[in-house]
Amino acid sequence: MAIFDVMGPIMIGPSSSHTAGAAKIGYLARRVYGKPVQHVRITLYNSFAETGRGHGTHMALLAGILGLHVDDARIRHSFALAREQGATVTFEEVLDPEKHPNTAVITFTDAGDRHPFVVEGISVGGGAVKIVGINGTRVDFSGKHNLLLVAYADVPGMMGIIGDRLAERGVNIAYAQISRDRNTRAAMAIMKLDQPCPDAVAAELKADHHVTDVVTIPRLGVEYERTEED
Amino acid sequence: MSAPKKTEAAVRPRRFRIHGLSDAREYMKTGHLATLGEFFVLYEATNQDLPRSTVVSRMETVLEAMRQSVSQGLAHANTTRSGMIDAGAARMDRFLAEGGSLLGTGFSTVVRNTLAVAENNACMGCIVAAPTAGASGVLPGAYLTVADNFQIPQSRIVQGLFVAGGIGECIALQASLSGSQHGCQAENGSASAMTAAALVSLFTDDPDAIESAAAFALKSVLGLVCDPVAGLVEVPCIKRNVMAAVNAVASAEMALAGIRTVIPFDEVVQAMGRIGRDMPVSLKETSLGGLAATPAGLHIAEAFRKNAGLDQDA
Repeated sequence: MAIFDVMGPIMIGPSSSHTAGAAKIGYLARRVYGKPVQHVRITLYNSFAETGRGHGTHMALLAGILGLHVDDARIRHSFALAREQGATVTFEEVLDPEKHPNTAVITFTDAGDRHPFVVEGISVGGGAVKIVGINGTRVDFSGKHNLLLVAYADVPGMMGIIGDRLAERGVNIAYAQISRDRNTRAAMAIMKLDQPCPDAVAAELKADHHVTDVVTIPRLGVEYERTEED
Repeated sequence: MSAPKKTEAAVRPRRFRIHGLSDAREYMKTGHLATLGEFFVLYEATNQDLPRSTVVSRMETVLEAMRQSVSQGLAHANTTRSGMIDAGAARMDRFLAEGGSLLGTGFSTVVRNTLAVAENNACMGCIVAAPTAGASGVLPGAYLTVADNFQIPQSRIVQGLFVAGGIGECIALQASLSGSQHGCQAENGSASAMTAAALVSLFTDDPDAIESAAAFALKSVLGLVCDPVAGLVEVPCIKRNVMAAVNAVASAEMALAGIRTVIPFDEVVQAMGRIGRDMPVSLKETSLGGLAATPAGLHIAEAFRKNAGLDQDA
């Protein structure tokens, strides 16, 4: 732990796991999705479903999706904010013992897209969260590192290409994860970086014809800094 | 404590590894640090690889957010959708203004300000989770009220917050700060110990006095269960913040009077952890036992489940 894990976060109440954690899951999900929100379906599981109403969990998840931070007083007005931005939202509450007690699955749909975009996150306590799934692929990251996410067709050599592009610009990889879906042959690489990913690297990777999507997320600011081990 | 010897080099490890308060005090001695607060500034800067100035300014931000949480909680009457919170801080404010205090205005101000922050948390206002959102009223309610009463300079108040954070860190390292792990003793109990230690640090650097205050505060709440009605951070959480705040002031006064703890703080923390593990799950934030399982508590929970909407504004 760290002193500022004890003395923080600075957050909108009432619950670090059910309010602050929920807002952070929404925020990260939106950063991964990376587009303006047309329609979003938010599925709350287990404890989120059972006690979420009393903890503002629904409001907080939506607020995060709209880009609000955990300490933003507008969290309680997120439904109105979504209406102003022309985003529609629906909620589902599900009990599923297979899922972590505090799980949210966020499904973005856009009239221009063929497939919905699905992000799954869990709130693990004290405001710390993990994103554990993107479009069915298992992932594992929080907001603690600068991130580079690359979705690609599963072909040999992709990790080498990503590593080379980063190395050319002096960016060090702290942790790397790759996962793939055997059925669709879709793969995803998640790079946790010591420095933010330069735009040029993202553009170069995007140009590769095996790559289907590139997302970069700078590490989250002070109010999001929890020092849980990744 | 003994004066630093000039010939002996201060010990500055690349990373501080502590298991509890006794290790922190040992580092204080070998590093020739005058105060526990200064040790925890150095601890955070070293272990998080941050400049000292960044660590201090971040705590200044925390202090400002705590002050805001008090004024926000006092700005209007706080009510919650469950109906359980009904303008407690506002009522206490009127009581105070009308001269109703039983033990002087300082005491009543501690009660009022603690209610203000804890209610602000329940009403989705901004607070500092120190150490948790459920116990967020204790430090601002007791520590800031006393510090302001004595017109303590800002830099010393910030140092005291490092003492509070350090005590919380020592609890986290040996037990837990979470109600779902160890019950309310770990949340409001820890907040009370952190606050008692911080209060003492405003008036003396003596680590024996600081340790004793923290130990007194925690010893008195061992076994306290977490049994929130309807799973909400309202009843009994908010009044337990008040209990923890006044307990902290009493513990600090005893320590400043020269009374010393018989059981070392670290051993009190370890006892708290053992008690927490022995506690049944029904009393650890599951709302299956205690006050949550009373007829009145169950009735409120049932009504809330039926009526609560998703959108507070609607």
